[in-house]
Amino acid sequence: MRISEQAKQATRLRILDKAAELFCAKGFDDSTTREIALAAGVAAGTMFNYFPSKETMAMTMVTEALRQGLDEFRRRRTNEEDLTEELFLFIASGLRRLQPLRPFLGPVLERSLSPFPRKAVCQEGEAARLSHLASVQEIIGRHGFTEAPDYAAMTIYWSLYLGILAFWTNDTSPNQEESQALIDYSLRVFVQVISGTGEERGAAYAC
Amino acid sequence: MRADQVTETDPARLEMLRRALPKERAIDPTGRQLAQLVTRIADQRVPVNSFTRLWNLGSLQARVTAGYLAYWLRSRFTDADERQRLKSEAHLNAAVKLFGTMGYLRGAVMKLGQMLANLPEVVPEEFGEVLAALHFEAPPMHFAMVRELFLDEFGREPEELFASFDRKAFAAASLGQVHRARLKSGEEVAVKIQYPGIARTIRADLRSLRLLLQPLCLTSNWQNTLDKLDDIEQMLLQETDYEQEACFSRQVRELFAPDDGIVVPRVHNAYSTKRVLTTDFLPGCHMERFLANNPSQDERDHYTTLLTIATMRAYYRLHWFMADPHPGNFIFMPDGRLGLIDFGCTRAMTDDEWSRIQELEGAHHKGDTERFNQVIARASLYESVEAMGAEQLAAVRRNVLWNMEPWLKEGLFDFGDREFFMRGIDSIMDLTRKGYTRGCPLYLWSTRFVLGGRAICYRMQGRCAFREIFRREHAAAIAAAPNMEAP
Repeated sequence: MRISEQAKQATRLRILDKAAELFCAKGFDDSTTREIALAAGVAAGTMFNYFPSKETMAMTMVTEALRQGLDEFRRRRTNEEDLTEELFLFIASGLRRLQPLRPFLGPVLERSLSPFPRKAVCQEGEAARLSHLASVQEIIGRHGFTEAPDYAAMTIYWSLYLGILAFWTNDTSPNQEESQALIDYSLRVFVQVISGTGEERGAAYAC
Repeated sequence: MRADQVTETDPARLEMLRRALPKERAIDPTGRQLAQLVTRIADQRVPVNSFTRLWNLGSLQARVTAGYLAYWLRSRFTDADERQRLKSEAHLNAAVKLFGTMGYLRGAVMKLGQMLANLPEVVPEEFGEVLAALHFEAPPMHFAMVRELFLDEFGREPEELFASFDRKAFAAASLGQVHRARLKSGEEVAVKIQYPGIARTIRADLRSLRLLLQPLCLTSNWQNTLDKLDDIEQMLLQETDYEQEACFSRQVRELFAPDDGIVVPRVHNAYSTKRVLTTDFLPGCHMERFLANNPSQDERDHYTTLLTIATMRAYYRLHWFMADPHPGNFIFMPDGRLGLIDFGCTRAMTDDEWSRIQELEGAHHKGDTERFNQVIARASLYESVEAMGAEQLAAVRRNVLWNMEPWLKEGLFDFGDREFFMRGIDSIMDLTRKGYTRGCPLYLWSTRFVLGGRAICYRMQGRCAFREIFRREHAAAIAAAPNMEAP
């Protein structure tokens, strides 16, 4: 009997739902694929046809959340934002969508987005990185920059963003308000770097 | 640019700073030392975070503020011997330097600067203007952040919640910024929004301040200083709770009838939380603009009268000091009414504190000198008049008598009288210089209340029938609460 595309989709969503529930309840590291399969009512072997690993499941959730965040950002943007503000809106919209996954995100992001050389690069993680950076370049392009920033500037951006994610997953302040301050500060740094006004601006503040 | 390249000091800027700073007669009569200290520290680069960057010690205002802090700290050890004094100077350096990193506290001391801006005789004119500009500091929160805050607080965007919402703040408030908006029901409102993380910053800043002040502790008044810091911390934290402020606003609003000509804006509960406070928007201007139009003596007297009624009613009916009487909190409305906004810095007295204050007032009004002196000694935390000592008693008495002076005069009291005002400033300077600042923490706020209010009336050059207003307000308070003692 052939399984319809619709049924496949439903199974896929059910696995993700149950995995998210388990990750939130027990943590990412302590949840096993066996438990997820059991909770989703599928055989372990079947489950691997959908997701080869826990990481893939978690990063699929992350990617989906960030995609929704991007849609929301585009809907929310008013075109009156300056560059820092628009980048802030972009990052904040993504984090708001990631919010339900926050309890188990730390180890997931550590494994999937680690910037250090690894034997096996997480494909979903790499896709998420490229998609995020493409959005950032698109935003920068809307603010009068004719060229894309070079690898050094984009590496700085990505380091700042990873720092924000790491801080945010661990932020105990109400509504993660300290992360908001960090995002704002990080983006000011980045915008100053690519605007080439860092030194001059610094000197102006000292007056 | 490297840090060692920015230590070069511009003599003109140093001179401007020196002129703006208070002078310590005994050890630094020209103020040069203090100006150099502040400049040296300001030129050291201190990391700022995104919410404190506007309070960077780079600006002249910030340097003046730091100078006042240093002056205050230094006044605490002018009598020490040379060796001790040098040691203390080293701590002073550290304290002022750390002050540069304390986001909120620097803001709080700047509020003191705002108050000084109302004392044109004390601070030279040009700095008065600079400081006055602080009333409406540029807002550091951009709109994208305001929107996130709304999603966190209300689950909705500002534009969804309101019929319209201005992207740009029109005023800086203590701890936040204020935006104009219109409710879907049509009312024009002012929406005050608090910076994220400010309460935590206050706690952290005060913890550091206590640690830093510890080595400066040279006198038996150390415990008293700690008690005062506790009171300040409580007041600052209270200011971060907009639900508490809404509660104060509602209570004080009920005190005024339409005929009084005093308006407290209505709080819109559905649009308010701990960190967002939405009230009616009051049209009108602040004192600067009012004075710029060269108002007649009648107009000046009119607003001085309203201001006196407003503060006196809150004092006798609710037992409150409106402890932040800076001009930004008063709106001169086009129809002649006075608007009162911002009740975050309200010090509500306990019953015990109120009865002590009433005892002092009572003894003063009856001319009972012995009792008056006893109450002063107790308020200064001495067992008896003898324990306090004649000199300290005389200095504190002088200040209290100045506070009470308007109560004694029949007819119009002229708050614009330079001689009267300068006597008050002198009496406070004298207390600070001699280190006679020991007292219940409550008096921090009463001093701020009295001096701040009088500075405003002085700048307005206004008069009012103070004693008559007192009689009326006091009688009304007794009628409302019959067990209150007659003075």
